[in-house]
Amino acid sequence: MKTLVRLEITRTLRNRKFMFFSVLYPAVLFLVFAGSTPKDKVVDGTHITFVAYYMVAMAAFGAMTAVLMGNAERIAQERQKGWVRQLRLTALPGRGYVTAKIASAATVSLPSILIVMVIGALAKDIRMEAWQWVAIAFATWAGSLVFAALGVAIGYVATAEVARPISMLCYFVVAGLGGLWFPVTGWPHWMQEILGYLPGKPYAGLGQAMVLGDAPRAKDIAVLAVYLVLFAGTAAWMYRKDTRRA
Amino acid sequence: MSAASVSTTTHEPGGAGTAAAAPAVVFRDVAKSFGPVKAVADLNLELHPGETVALLGPNGAGKSTALDLLLGLKNPDAGEVLLFGSTPQKAIAQGLVGAMLQSGGLMEEVTVREIVSLACDLHPHAYPVEQVLAAADLAEIADRKVNKLSGGQEQRVRFAMATAGANQLIVLDEPTTGMDVSSRQAFWATMRAQVEQGRTVLFATHYLEEADAIADRVLVMHQGRLLADGTSAEIKARAGARRIAFDLDGAIDEKALAALPHVVGLDVTGPTVRLRSDDADATVHAVYAMGLYPRNLEVAGLGLEQAFLAITDRAAADGATAGEADKEAGAR
Repeated sequence: MKTLVRLEITRTLRNRKFMFFSVLYPAVLFLVFAGSTPKDKVVDGTHITFVAYYMVAMAAFGAMTAVLMGNAERIAQERQKGWVRQLRLTALPGRGYVTAKIASAATVSLPSILIVMVIGALAKDIRMEAWQWVAIAFATWAGSLVFAALGVAIGYVATAEVARPISMLCYFVVAGLGGLWFPVTGWPHWMQEILGYLPGKPYAGLGQAMVLGDAPRAKDIAVLAVYLVLFAGTAAWMYRKDTRRA
Repeated sequence: MSAASVSTTTHEPGGAGTAAAAPAVVFRDVAKSFGPVKAVADLNLELHPGETVALLGPNGAGKSTALDLLLGLKNPDAGEVLLFGSTPQKAIAQGLVGAMLQSGGLMEEVTVREIVSLACDLHPHAYPVEQVLAAADLAEIADRKVNKLSGGQEQRVRFAMATAGANQLIVLDEPTTGMDVSSRQAFWATMRAQVEQGRTVLFATHYLEEADAIADRVLVMHQGRLLADGTSAEIKARAGARRIAFDLDGAIDEKALAALPHVVGLDVTGPTVRLRSDDADATVHAVYAMGLYPRNLEVAGLGLEQAFLAITDRAAADGATAGEADKEAGAR
């Protein structure tokens, strides 16, 4: 089991394209978006500055990329190629494969969060209390488990050919409508209400609340928890179905 | 290295056949269908520790389904499959079973050594990694990426994964496919070493000479049923071990010929009579005793391949024979 997790991490780190998109891409986007914005400019309808907003959003975006894009396609491919079958002939417990996938995704998502935050602190002069830095990093990281579960669910629902388009679609919808690329605070109120029930906005909301020194909103946590149960439940159900069929 | 937690009886060659030991494999009234297709029907089977068993059958005979059922990759519609007295899943979790399937994929973007270390790490009674690599003849390509291997090399990686630890049962689905002659010989030399340690080996193969040379028991499957079960010599005998051919002048009394002792098959074309007999000497003697004078008499042995074809052809032509053979096989 330890070797499996270690191998999953090593091969992800060896995959340059993947590392670029999950680790460097959010950092680069952060620099581009926050590049020319004055330091104290505040996002409409909030008290949060643009730079801080984008730092939290890009950390969330990077973590989401790492856990969602990596897992969905890999799992679908490995099911198709028979690697999952091969693993079932070993003493690895049934859930070991999925556990290793999520554990390795979570390991890789951490650097993408930290790099964005380090840039925020060093290049963008964002100043917060120490607890805020730690809590934001941790909340973003923990919240990414929701999307890791979504990745696993897609990997088990879809075939290898359509896993990428499906995860791309989920990814764009969640990121775009969740305000990860641009603030949605200027949108009509009713629309924001709806977006609050999609997973993206509550996810970004965790960090945004803490940037202002508040605790994350209970509603955001509740929405994310529901999605976690939903995605993990789908993944577990599909896994059992797949086991019977394989 | 062979951890002591497994019942120690089967670790030594001498202990393999102890009365207390559960059969390595039991199939009890197992059936599995895919839609209208009966992939496996009424399969009854017992394999004992220390046996080397070949599973033969034409494509689509149900061999792969039978192996999937054996390994718990599929669940039977009816009946039960037991490995060492427990479910396939439990036996695999205890590290009693090593399997090499054609459909088994490999993890990509890792080296041969890494994937073999993984197999060793997952096995409850693992051998040292270097030893597994050497046994599968992978030491030289240990640092190569798995996705850059040839078909035969990939087979060897699958073999290494199947033999990463001290298994009691090794299941191989067409293990030498894609190997050249020398790797095939090296492969079976490795397998023989496993058998000498008292392991049970079950392999499906298309190469009948492999079955003939290596297996001490041969199973023949056809259309989801077990047609024959015995030693290679018995299988040959079942099909009629010898072919007798001769020409006769005048009218041929087919009934009388078919009633000759030890005759298991008869075919008359013009003046030529072809008999299959499981005791050619007695049959030929009886031909003369009938007062016949056979010309151009020929007696030839059947290879396992011909025996196999004879058995499966007969089954295809005659459903009743299949049912009977099944009962006979089940009674063993």
